[in-house]
Amino acid sequence: MRNSQENSSISRRHFLGLAGGAAGMAALVSMGVSTSWAKNNPEIDIDNIDHQESETDVLVIGSGMAGLFAAVKAHDAGSNVLLVSKGRLGSSGQTPFAKGIFAYDETTTNFSIDDFVNAISSSALGTNNKAYTRQLAEHSLARVNELRAWGFFDSPLYFNSFNKPIEERNITVKERIVITHLIKENGRIAGAAGFSLGEEKIHIFNAKSVILCTGAGGFKPNGFPICDLTHDGTIMAYNIGAKVTGKEWNDGHPGQSKNAAACFDGWHGMFERKPGTTNVEIHHDLGVDLNYKAYMMGSPIKMGRPGEEKVNDIEGGPYVPEEFRNRKPHGAEPDSADSKSRNRRPPKEGGAPPGMTGTIVGGSSAGMAIHKSEGLVPINDKCESNIPGLYAAGDALGSYMVGAIYTQIGSSLAGSAVQGAVAAEAASEYSKSTALPVNSKTKINLIREEILAPLKREAGYSPAWVTQTLQGVMIPNFVLYIKKENMMKAALAYIEELRDHHMPMLRAADLHELRLAHETSNMIISAEMKLKASIMRTESRCSHYRLDYPEIDDENWQAWINILKGEDGSMKFEKQSFGSWPDNQGSI
Amino acid sequence: MVFSMLVGLPMLFWALGDFPRRTVLKEVISIVTLIALSLMIGQFFLTRNSRKMLNINSMGLVIDLHKIIGYIFTGVLLLHPFFIVFPRYFESGVEPEEAFITLLTTFSSTGVILGIMAWLLMLTIGLTSIFRNRLPMKFSSWRLLHGILSIVFIIVASWHAIELGRHTDIAMSIFIILLSVSGVLLLLKRYFLNLKLG
Amino acid sequence: MAINSINGCIGCGTCVKTCPTDVIRLDKRTGKAVIAYPADCQICHLCRMYCPVDAITITPDKSIPVIVSWG
Ligand SMILES: Cc1cc2nc3c(=O)[nH]c(=O)nc-3n(C[C@H](O)[C@H](O)[C@H](O)COP(=O)(O)OP(=O)(O)OC[C@H]3O[C@@H](n4cnc5c(N)ncnc54)[C@H](O)[C@@H]3O)c2cc1C
Ligand code: SF4
Ligand code: SF4
Repeated sequence: MRNSQENSSISRRHFLGLAGGAAGMAALVSMGVSTSWAKNNPEIDIDNIDHQESETDVLVIGSGMAGLFAAVKAHDAGSNVLLVSKGRLGSSGQTPFAKGIFAYDETTTNFSIDDFVNAISSSALGTNNKAYTRQLAEHSLARVNELRAWGFFDSPLYFNSFNKPIEERNITVKERIVITHLIKENGRIAGAAGFSLGEEKIHIFNAKSVILCTGAGGFKPNGFPICDLTHDGTIMAYNIGAKVTGKEWNDGHPGQSKNAAACFDGWHGMFERKPGTTNVEIHHDLGVDLNYKAYMMGSPIKMGRPGEEKVNDIEGGPYVPEEFRNRKPHGAEPDSADSKSRNRRPPKEGGAPPGMTGTIVGGSSAGMAIHKSEGLVPINDKCESNIPGLYAAGDALGSYMVGAIYTQIGSSLAGSAVQGAVAAEAASEYSKSTALPVNSKTKINLIREEILAPLKREAGYSPAWVTQTLQGVMIPNFVLYIKKENMMKAALAYIEELRDHHMPMLRAADLHELRLAHETSNMIISAEMKLKASIMRTESRCSHYRLDYPEIDDENWQAWINILKGEDGSMKFEKQSFGSWPDNQGSI
Repeated sequence: MVFSMLVGLPMLFWALGDFPRRTVLKEVISIVTLIALSLMIGQFFLTRNSRKMLNINSMGLVIDLHKIIGYIFTGVLLLHPFFIVFPRYFESGVEPEEAFITLLTTFSSTGVILGIMAWLLMLTIGLTSIFRNRLPMKFSSWRLLHGILSIVFIIVASWHAIELGRHTDIAMSIFIILLSVSGVLLLLKRYFLNLKLG
Repeated sequence: MAINSINGCIGCGTCVKTCPTDVIRLDKRTGKAVIAYPADCQICHLCRMYCPVDAITITPDKSIPVIVSWG
């Protein structure tokens, strides 16, 4: 049923679409129309909602691979640790779906660590942060061995192996709590706040240091299991002044055209397999070459079989370094390797999901960048952010560990483990020299109000509808992947409308919708960051492709883009040269 | 006739019901379990009470059938909790042992408690039948015990099946209830008749 | 319709915790798992794999429009 408000809002958008030169968008935008404007009817007694405060030395937010190691290692470094997550240990974020983990093992490769770092840099066209690339190689085997001892490789489900070290150490875990705010007092981190999904309760965490292990995120896309991730950590940190990077890059995972939303089916049973390890094997993969092909040729697009020559049948498109053009990766075992054992090698990211040979569509991971290329800007190799006491690890840290394109197979999972441990030690160290900060009552009350606001709104916009609208604006190939300035500006007009008019009017009837409301806000800000950073980067490199600037521009763009919130609340941008730490704090 | 009803009706409801179809192994296990329950309730009709109804002349045959069905399907139902987690050996997911422990420790569930009770009652009925001769008990009091235990068992078991059964829709529930109620009534009628006569 | 039906649930609550997108809840009255927010199901099958009695059935289709990058 459509009511009149709905109709008028659509025609208004239709007008905007035409004005932006993108009439096609209006049609997309109007796809999800069932609940755009309705009176709110909360089922919750908002004024009597419970309130719980907890204290800890190190607060770890997120319970994927990074969160696991952050909690375990901070405990082992002598800190009191509290682990809080939106979901369940080992069963939320992207971790449950990753099945190949990289371990640099000098006994099985003829690459030295230096060779490895150099090979990654050459595939990544300079976009990687060598300190983090090296750290990955140095620590991955130790983390993998710990995982093995906990039983990680014995089951396709990770809860038990993750729970083992946590239980042994008696670490407190609080699950199904959505963190919405980081708390800053006197310029340093003081804790975090959020609400529980299962009970009517607000949680305030008072902590000496916080490690964000909140993963990456996307626009709740179809075909990639990241609909629980909306860059929450990044946006919370941005809101208190942390620098954020990597928003212009794109993960180019395709999905299958039939039942595109079915992640499990699209990955052909991979989620049911036990994990395994991967060796040095470097690609230049999963950027936007398929998106370019689809843009130039239209649908249907088919996936090339692994081992096939890279698709060279179209002119132009993203630049792939010569030595990585052939699909055969750098550093992989020689061809003489027993072909049977090759087939049984652990599944891994790289190429399309296994078994995907039919017609494919793009956007399955829309809104997500290459793992580790987006997130908080580290000020050193200890996963520290520019806010004292705030650390980030794994997909939440913009470490550029392997650059802005997929290079080393299986490094994402390994990198989260490695960085979780590194951040833990740094955060523990920091906590020892810090007193527990005092949270001001007024600030807590303000945060409480902000958390609950969507429940209190008498009327407003449903998060589901705003999300669909955002998807319709952002996900088309000609907006998010094959970029041009005027189109991105048109999309930005929509996103700014959502930000200024709809975000303050999101409504929620229950705790599930309250979560959706906060996630939707984060997606809107992420979309704004993605568009603005993409407009700013006037070149093409790795997984960022501009149709109007198709060449690599080494003169101006040997630099990462950092985003931060200005004093006036506006979004500010700065360049940070490749190979240097932020604010000219020396070279890497 | 009665047999085909006891075996056929649950299969019919299984076939007609709007249940998701799964692997052959899982469906076979489900059907065998359904038939086992149905036949166990049917045991109330396979007694000397109901010889006429069954149209079987030899009392010995009725008792033999009662015993055979009793032992086989008590066995099946005793294994039923394991059957539920058994297919996990062949597919990816939670380990069967772990699933079994979760299953047995979900005490918040009425259905699980009823199931455990029914399982223990069934075990008692089975053991007291196998070792009847060794029990220090007259046949008539054993029979009374057997009857009472059976009534309690069938009430608990039916309730459990209706509460938790994967395949209990309205039709299946009505079938189970009608069958149990008539079986129990039949037995009670006999006891009261006996009391009056005695 | 993504997560499609739950049959034979014992109410252990595992799936509620396991679902990354908070689709499933325990019904207050019956104590059993119910599909509370099907539109948010990402069809990842974690709930099914973790369920001790394999009660959950999932289909590959979705009830809300699926937006992709080209078609
Ligand atoms: C289908 C698929 C296949 C993949 N295959 C591979 C592979 O084979 N090899 C490989 O190396 N990598 C692979 N990856 C990538 C890899 O899974 C990730 O890079 C890695 O798991 C990230 O771990 P993480 O701990 O940093 O974040 P995540 O695992 O994403 O964890 C994020 C955590 O933060 C929590 N969280 C988020 N927001 C909030 C909030 N607001 N409040 C509280 N908690 C919050 C979440 O609940 C979750 O627990 C794959 C990813 C996918 C999706
Ligand atoms: S995991 Fe299975 S048995 Fe447990 S509550 Fe969920 S559906 Fe029910
Ligand atoms: S398939 Fe995944 S998203 Fe859907 S209900 Fe199950 S766990 Fe949740």
